[in-house]
Amino acid sequence: MTQTTAPPTDLQKRLDRAFNPRTVAVVGDKRAMGYLWLNAMKTFTGKVFSVQVDPSEIEGIEAMGVSNYPSLGDIPDEIDYVVCAVPRPVAAKIVASCIEKRVGAVALFTSGFAETETEEGIAAQDQITQMARDAGLLLIGPNCMGLYNRRLGVRHSTDQAAGDAGNVGFISQSGTHAINFSLVGAVQGVKCSKTVSFGNAVILDAPDYIEYLANDAETEVIAMYIEGVKDGRRLLRVLRKAARCKPVVVWKGGATAGGSRAIYSHTASLATAPAIWDAAMRQAGVVQTESLDETIDAVKALVHCKPTTGRRMGLIAMTGGQSVVITDAFEREGLEVPLLTDGSYAKLAEFFNIIGGSYRNPLDAGGTIGMGFAPGNLQKLLDILEADENVDAVAMEVGASFIARRLRENPAILDMMVDTLAKHCDRSGKPFIAIAHPGHVEDVMADIRSRLIERGIAVFASFQAGARALRRAVDYRSDRHLTA
Amino acid sequence: MTLESVIADARSQGRTILTEVESKQILHDAGIPVALADLAGSAKDAAAAAEKLGFPVVLKVVSPDVTHKSDVGGVKLGLASPAEVASAYDEVVAAVKKAQPQARIDGVAVQKMASQGTEVIIGMSKDPQFGPVLMFGLGGILVEVLNDVAFRIVPLEPRDARQMVREIKGFPVLEGVRGQPPADLEALEKLILQVSEFVEAHPEIEELDLNPVFAYPDGALAVDARIVVA
Repeated sequence: MTQTTAPPTDLQKRLDRAFNPRTVAVVGDKRAMGYLWLNAMKTFTGKVFSVQVDPSEIEGIEAMGVSNYPSLGDIPDEIDYVVCAVPRPVAAKIVASCIEKRVGAVALFTSGFAETETEEGIAAQDQITQMARDAGLLLIGPNCMGLYNRRLGVRHSTDQAAGDAGNVGFISQSGTHAINFSLVGAVQGVKCSKTVSFGNAVILDAPDYIEYLANDAETEVIAMYIEGVKDGRRLLRVLRKAARCKPVVVWKGGATAGGSRAIYSHTASLATAPAIWDAAMRQAGVVQTESLDETIDAVKALVHCKPTTGRRMGLIAMTGGQSVVITDAFEREGLEVPLLTDGSYAKLAEFFNIIGGSYRNPLDAGGTIGMGFAPGNLQKLLDILEADENVDAVAMEVGASFIARRLRENPAILDMMVDTLAKHCDRSGKPFIAIAHPGHVEDVMADIRSRLIERGIAVFASFQAGARALRRAVDYRSDRHLTA
Repeated sequence: MTLESVIADARSQGRTILTEVESKQILHDAGIPVALADLAGSAKDAAAAAEKLGFPVVLKVVSPDVTHKSDVGGVKLGLASPAEVASAYDEVVAAVKKAQPQARIDGVAVQKMASQGTEVIIGMSKDPQFGPVLMFGLGGILVEVLNDVAFRIVPLEPRDARQMVREIKGFPVLEGVRGQPPADLEALEKLILQVSEFVEAHPEIEELDLNPVFAYPDGALAVDARIVVA
């Protein structure tokens, strides 16, 4: 599905070096931070160097097996990516040595700049900005966590996964959201290819990273958290181009009056009126979300579900009450729950248990499929919905709560259900999502979710969340369809 | 009267707001459908202009100091003969002088009275990050009360104009309700795209208001226009 938008520019080539480094230098890591950066870089497949002049810190660094140097200039190798964690008064000096060393890029973890709204913070930011601009240095941040490359093990948190490649790129004005997206996403089946936390964006701004990830073959879906942008017209142009080659999900922070005050203190971004922002995002053809959960959910649907522009749902729930509310949830999102074809009804009539169940759509199927654990009948239902020409997509409640204790004692029946669903998804041409609500035996529900996720199935924590995510994926594909 | 000369004129007079006559002429030159207006400096001029444009006509006072023309008696509608136009001219000038004695009166705009259509508005203002932004909504009181408007960033693509028109809650009004014929949506979309192109080509324009635009079953026409330059 991935296609590139344009031949890479010089900036894109240079960003590619930073995102895929062979060498990394960490400047100013220290014991008080638990050697955060050097520990995070333990998974890095290339060479890691440390720069630290404080003798009381060097001992601990060398004990980790990392070579320490008194300055960047003393490192014999070329450096592709620098993490700078020094206090603000030293930041300009490190920026100068990055320029002299001709490093690929530097991420300034250092904060205390314009976001402090103080004269000295603003002056310090102006100084490093001017230096980087004059020298053409790729400066990420300041006030950021920098880059994460899952495949190469370039990380900013020791909890982040490393080794295998992901396919979702995340661009974040916040370090917390960048880390959380990569961590919380990973346990929900959303694996990052590359992420960047870009903070105050003095040199490189969101559009630069969007262009990069739009051209990155490893990245199939782009998601981002953004608080503000300097050049809105460029953002729109770049987003529109990116969204035409791969799905883009945009989570805007500071969309309310109080929130817009908060973003200034966070990243010194200026607020945009919500109606203008909304218009720009509609024009760009991106998916808009309002929280981390919604962002992960939307990405999940885009990554794991077969693409469709159809809005007609086939719904499977386990009880009468759930059949009603699952239908409400999907219709509220503007998806449809139509009647099935006569052919489907004839097939259903042969085996569907209508005592305590019904099959008009939604299918109140708990009795028929043994709460999902009678794989034969479950398979039949899925096949009927797959063949039904009135149905574009299928959502199923995994209502295991009732029998959670039985599942804990006999996980083999759980394996059968998961296997039936996973094989169905592999064969099916229609999107399929599973909904596993939090239950009173939460460890069993968590087990079910993670087994489904392992098999590449999109799982959601509520009917509303599943309906919204699927609707967003359908909206994106429909919009692409219109502009294709 | 080119756009550059109109702007130069206005600036030399210390104005950033172009008059209705100026605004409409510029928009007309850009191919945007507007009800053109002639500036008349006397009752005789006004009657002559009306004969040229065709009856019935509307008179509106032209004054940099008057914001709400109808509130000061500065508007006369449905004038059907040269004699009616001439006396209406005198009435308009007298009424404005009485209501706002210090107001400078440059004359009266004479315009062919447009037949009533569904009122919509198209506006442009500038956002600090996104630059020129177009706004579309139904005209009249509802747009103010319900804030039922759609925005798009300039430059617009045809898809944007199409979605913008359909995005407002009042869209069914344009599709035709209670036996009213549907408005010419294509004409509205074309007008929006023309305004986008015009604004994109002229960064010196700070604000633009076409209010109202009459949407007809066949075509659309900007009946009033106001342009503010930097």
